[in-house]
Amino acid sequence: MLRILVFVLFALSWQVSAVLMKNMLIPTFTETIGGFIQLVFVSGRIWQPLYVSNQALVLGYILSVLIAIPLGLAAGRVRWIDKILNPYIGIFLTIPVAPLIPIAITALGLGLASRVAIVFLFTFVFIVVNTRAGVRNVDPGLIEMAKSFGANEGQIWRRIVIPGAVPAIFAGLRIGLGRAVGGMVIVELLLVASGLGRLLLEFAGRLQAEFVFATVLVVIIEALLLLSAMRFAEQKVAPWAHDNSIG
Amino acid sequence: MIQIRGLSKEFLGRDGEGTGVLAIDSLNFEVRDNEFLTIIGPSGCGKTTLLRIIAGLIPFDDGEVRIDDKPVTGPGSDRAVVFQNFALMPWANVLTNIAFGLEIRGTPKAEYEDTARRLVRLVGLEGFERRLPKELSGGMQQRVGLARALAVNPRILLMDEPFGALDEQTRRLLQEQLLRIWEKERKTVIFITHSMEEAVFLGDRVMLMTPRPGRVKEIIDVPLKRPRGQETEKSTTFTEIKEYLWENLRSMQVLDQREA
Amino acid sequence: MAKVAIEAGKVGALRVHATRRRPLRGALLEVVALGGGVILWEVLGWVLAMPWLPPFSKIVAALIQFIQSGVILVNVASSLEGLAIGFGISLIVGLFVGALMGRYRRVEKALDIYVNALLISPAMIFAPIFFAIFGLSGAVRIAVIIMYSVFVIIMNTATAIRTVDPALVEMASSFGANERQIFLRILLPASLPLIFAGIRLGMGRAVKGMINGEMLIAMVGLGALAQRYGSQFEASKVFAIALVVLIIGVVMNWLVEILDHRFTSWAD
Repeated sequence: MLRILVFVLFALSWQVSAVLMKNMLIPTFTETIGGFIQLVFVSGRIWQPLYVSNQALVLGYILSVLIAIPLGLAAGRVRWIDKILNPYIGIFLTIPVAPLIPIAITALGLGLASRVAIVFLFTFVFIVVNTRAGVRNVDPGLIEMAKSFGANEGQIWRRIVIPGAVPAIFAGLRIGLGRAVGGMVIVELLLVASGLGRLLLEFAGRLQAEFVFATVLVVIIEALLLLSAMRFAEQKVAPWAHDNSIG
Repeated sequence: MIQIRGLSKEFLGRDGEGTGVLAIDSLNFEVRDNEFLTIIGPSGCGKTTLLRIIAGLIPFDDGEVRIDDKPVTGPGSDRAVVFQNFALMPWANVLTNIAFGLEIRGTPKAEYEDTARRLVRLVGLEGFERRLPKELSGGMQQRVGLARALAVNPRILLMDEPFGALDEQTRRLLQEQLLRIWEKERKTVIFITHSMEEAVFLGDRVMLMTPRPGRVKEIIDVPLKRPRGQETEKSTTFTEIKEYLWENLRSMQVLDQREA
Repeated sequence: MAKVAIEAGKVGALRVHATRRRPLRGALLEVVALGGGVILWEVLGWVLAMPWLPPFSKIVAALIQFIQSGVILVNVASSLEGLAIGFGISLIVGLFVGALMGRYRRVEKALDIYVNALLISPAMIFAPIFFAIFGLSGAVRIAVIIMYSVFVIIMNTATAIRTVDPALVEMASSFGANERQIFLRILLPASLPLIFAGIRLGMGRAVKGMINGEMLIAMVGLGALAQRYGSQFEASKVFAIALVVLIIGVVMNWLVEILDHRFTSWAD
């Protein structure tokens, strides 16, 4: 339909302009696809670096989730914790993490630890914010209803607040995942320690433009797959929800 | 059975100081066992606040609230509330919602499931046991709310404008259904409404409240025969009481506007 | 009829809890928390004596030194220039495409899947592509800024226009308004609140794109400075720059909010 038409138009204009430009650094559409097939299926060169880079993503994300969700729950439910954390949440939402990369390197070296720390810094605050919002936006009418049936604090927490907050928490997990992927990419490009960053540099150095573009394509596809999977999980876990997510 | 004496409730200003709003002032009335009392009054007269105080959900400042001579100190198993906005857990299905009150009291699973199924039949929602609230119409959702309240077998049913969010046709059907259920399992019902027809149609007595601060203006007997139905609305008594209510409400609010 | 117990007095009354709201106390707590953090940072900086955690005072000192030497001004100006160009382009393209998508269902159906995909893709991954096209130049930075911000503006604008109450449009039609009038008098004003939300989000992202892009090309602006000091392991200076960017982000957001309130106060 229309969407396919748009894509075809895009591919065509790319192809034509690349051919006309005859720039060694800009591959044509077909060359890029060829490079993609090469890297992923034929030589499989992409997989090892992909694995290395994703270590930072996975570990950084899991660390974020483990720390951010309890923080968000606490901030949502306990007023004074919320007030104390609030200025820091605001700061971490606005501060650019990229300049802090050299700091992380000084502290943790050039290995996996600093990469994980950077991904963590990119990610955790968004999970905190959405978790907190989820807890705070639980329908007070439901809490009152539970009280009217004699529920104690623990029951209110388990039966009303947590289930009520689940949609927002999952939205936060989804947004956090997007941030984590972005963080991984920035780490690769600015740190160039290992993995995809190094691969890109190698391809660029050898003027293998089709492989550079193909690598970019691989990362985009990975991001799309991960986030779609997350969306799907979100729907499954919380089919009753509307999206009021932050970020 | 329910005694309210000199009840007063003030809501404080946002900063916790300064002039608050006196919602209820020196309220006195009684509710007899198994009677259906409807409460009507102008907007903001404190009817909902009163209900929540009787339910034990909010504290009050002065006076006393007693049920069978025992003071009310919090929610209890003798009372259950039906909420205007249904207050159903959106993530749980009909059965789970109905069973909620029993479940959190530690009732064994077999028992509460049984009760929930029985009540599903009672309110006419067979076949919808596994549906989520969002798949139900407003009227159906409120039937779930009613079933949930009945599930804990309270002696007193507190209903806060339960049909206010529904269209007129659904409202009328639910009124009839509510009365049918009530005829079978007589409970004490305190029913808050905005609608004069509803107040007269449902109640044994109608309590008329004044504008804020809410006081009891009058308690009117409704000597209409039960069971009530379509015929009831055609009787002259019905119309007389209804008009009487309206005259009072109207004059209270005109007065209110002049004073404002 | 139940026996009536007539007892005057306050037997059984529940006292109001001391949960009085005190917004002033809340704000105070936040300030104290922030101050406490600064103090903690200062102490830890001295005690731990790690090269990567300078005491807060040293960071402030570095900042002051920047301002005095004029280094800050030059680079802030350079960064803001890039931001202005990049965000400006994002705004124009974003509002235009978003408006088209919001107004015309066919445009929306054609493009939404791509806008969405580009919105959730990590924007920086396109940097190698920009390098290929523009070489090592300031244009890469502009392109990165655009990549960061344009899609969220498109999405919000499209949603804003699409969700304008159709009753309002119908009303205008019933009074004989033409396409242009409907757009200018109904669609545009009604969609402003959400559009501004998109602009605010876009601005936040643009600032991030600005610093990230600059750090990557390491040629101009604050990013270049950060890279230089970073490679020299001058932690205080790096933190100071992060602080400057933070301030820029806050100021920009505040500016957008002012505009927002000016044009959409009716929506509150």
